[in-house]
Amino acid sequence: MVAVTSTATDVAVPAAADPPEAPAAGPRQITRSNPLVSITSWLFLFATAAFFLFPLVSMARFAFQRVPMILFGWSTLFDRWTWDGLFTAFRDEGFGPTLWLSGRLAIGTIVLTLALMLPTAMWVHLRIPSVRGLVETLTVLPYVVPPIALVVGVIGAYKESTPWFFNSQFSLIPFYAILAMPFTYRSLDAGLRAIDLRTLVDASRSLGAGWGTTMFRVLMPNMRTSLLTASFLTATVVMGEFTMAQLMGKFTLPVFQAQFYLREVQGGIALGLVTLLATTVLLAVITFLTRRRGAAASVAGGI
Amino acid sequence: MTSPSPSIGMAAFAEATAPEPAPQGAGSHALRLRQGLTAWAGLIPFFVFLGLFLVVPTVSVFIRAFGDVEGSESPALVEAMRGLFPHYFRESLKLSLYSALIGGVIGTLLALVVVRMQRPRWLRNLVTAFSGVAANMGGIVLAFAFIAALGTQGLATKALKTMGLELPTQFITTFWGLVVVYCFFQVPLMFLVMLPAIDGLKPAWREAVANLGGTSLTYWWRVGIPVLTPAALGGMLLLFANSFAAYATAFALSTGSAELVSVQIRFYLQGDNITGQANIGYALAAWMILIMLATIGIYLLVRRRAERWSR
Repeated sequence: MVAVTSTATDVAVPAAADPPEAPAAGPRQITRSNPLVSITSWLFLFATAAFFLFPLVSMARFAFQRVPMILFGWSTLFDRWTWDGLFTAFRDEGFGPTLWLSGRLAIGTIVLTLALMLPTAMWVHLRIPSVRGLVETLTVLPYVVPPIALVVGVIGAYKESTPWFFNSQFSLIPFYAILAMPFTYRSLDAGLRAIDLRTLVDASRSLGAGWGTTMFRVLMPNMRTSLLTASFLTATVVMGEFTMAQLMGKFTLPVFQAQFYLREVQGGIALGLVTLLATTVLLAVITFLTRRRGAAASVAGGI
Repeated sequence: MTSPSPSIGMAAFAEATAPEPAPQGAGSHALRLRQGLTAWAGLIPFFVFLGLFLVVPTVSVFIRAFGDVEGSESPALVEAMRGLFPHYFRESLKLSLYSALIGGVIGTLLALVVVRMQRPRWLRNLVTAFSGVAANMGGIVLAFAFIAALGTQGLATKALKTMGLELPTQFITTFWGLVVVYCFFQVPLMFLVMLPAIDGLKPAWREAVANLGGTSLTYWWRVGIPVLTPAALGGMLLLFANSFAAYATAFALSTGSAELVSVQIRFYLQGDNITGQANIGYALAAWMILIMLATIGIYLLVRRRAERWSR
């Protein structure tokens, strides 16, 4: 506070001030060069990084080191690394079928999502743009009903009334499409906004193409990135969803993982780490895809 | 706002609910009237789908929640607020509150630090990318990671022990253990929510404060904090909802015994093994939906206010 008032008087009598006192540096440098803040910032960053990396590193060691649990510590850091745990998981008779089921659920959810949401989003853009806000609001409704509550309702509504549907392995698909809807719709909506939809449709139609040709040969190739993003995001959700699958009694990959972990701790952790890596790679690919397009979009937006 | 980001979960929700300029109505009045019905007809599949797989289950939750419970006069919805149940709700709300506050503060600080540090240029991208993954990492895999780190034989447990800090037994299944674990996805989520808000702080404001004779402290106290408060509040509400809805992590950490509403619901669904009590499960789910509705409703109000400064 004292410093501030002295600066103020210095300004009133500019030439008289002694050089070291006069803060010639602008306001930015004052904050940036404060060493105390810099050191605190770095310490904070390191502490945060440690918090986030420790569980992952621990996981890697538990997964890939054949060391008795009691002996995990600094001294055994380089001892007996092995893939055995992971192979135990891969060889387990539950792994193949559950991965296959989860894979089919992911593909089914992607197909259902695209078949339903893409025409809907296009229709909104072409025919009733005034309801875009309403539709977008409806697509985020699933956030209000958490999966654990949704599954309760699904059991209540469908377990006894339509057992043929509820008991099918694939009954999860429409609910996964619901869980994924908030971001699949958004991704498709962004894709549609990035292309000149009306011109493309008019051009294609006036050249004699039917709606099918327009959709598959004109619009979808132009929206590749957005379709891929929506599909990958859906796949990440389906491959990791545990709550609904468990409570509806479907033996999917995450449900298998939870059971397998109780039998084979090391294999369970190894499998968990591998699925985590796979998800990370998938998300990294999406980030890469959207960043390329995002850069183009932001240039256009800047104008 | 228009550039899409590959976020799922609550981070996507934060972006999806950002207000946008209303689209201008196209076409003449007469044309719109004529097109009205056929235009809405195109949305029928979407509405039917939402109705069957979201609305019907939700309505069914509430119908059964008003059903009765054996040995009680009152509907399940009231019964679910008696006995041990308020305890589960309190635990869930407390966990959501603490993990939202702690995750919110750390996430905001992280965003401030990352925006302020411009020197390693990759830092910001790295933290953002990692946050995108970690914010969505809730679930059984996260539980495994923390069992390896903070479990009884965990590496962090041992490291802390050598430093003379002994964790209570089964720390990871205790209330504070869960708070620590939840921070793993709460902090990155808050970071992702706060990043655009902090980017919105204009350097001109800082210069204006300096020109008027204010210090850095004045700037934060009179400008920075007031401008960021609505965004931070909104972010924390989102974190609150996120943690309240979570099930898989807590289930896997406690192997089904966590005293949280989301985990306890499961007991009442397992093939009506507690006869006459099945409706309690529906009532718990109904209360969860109501609490989520309230949280997200307040969030949307706060969000609208937060948007004021980002233009």
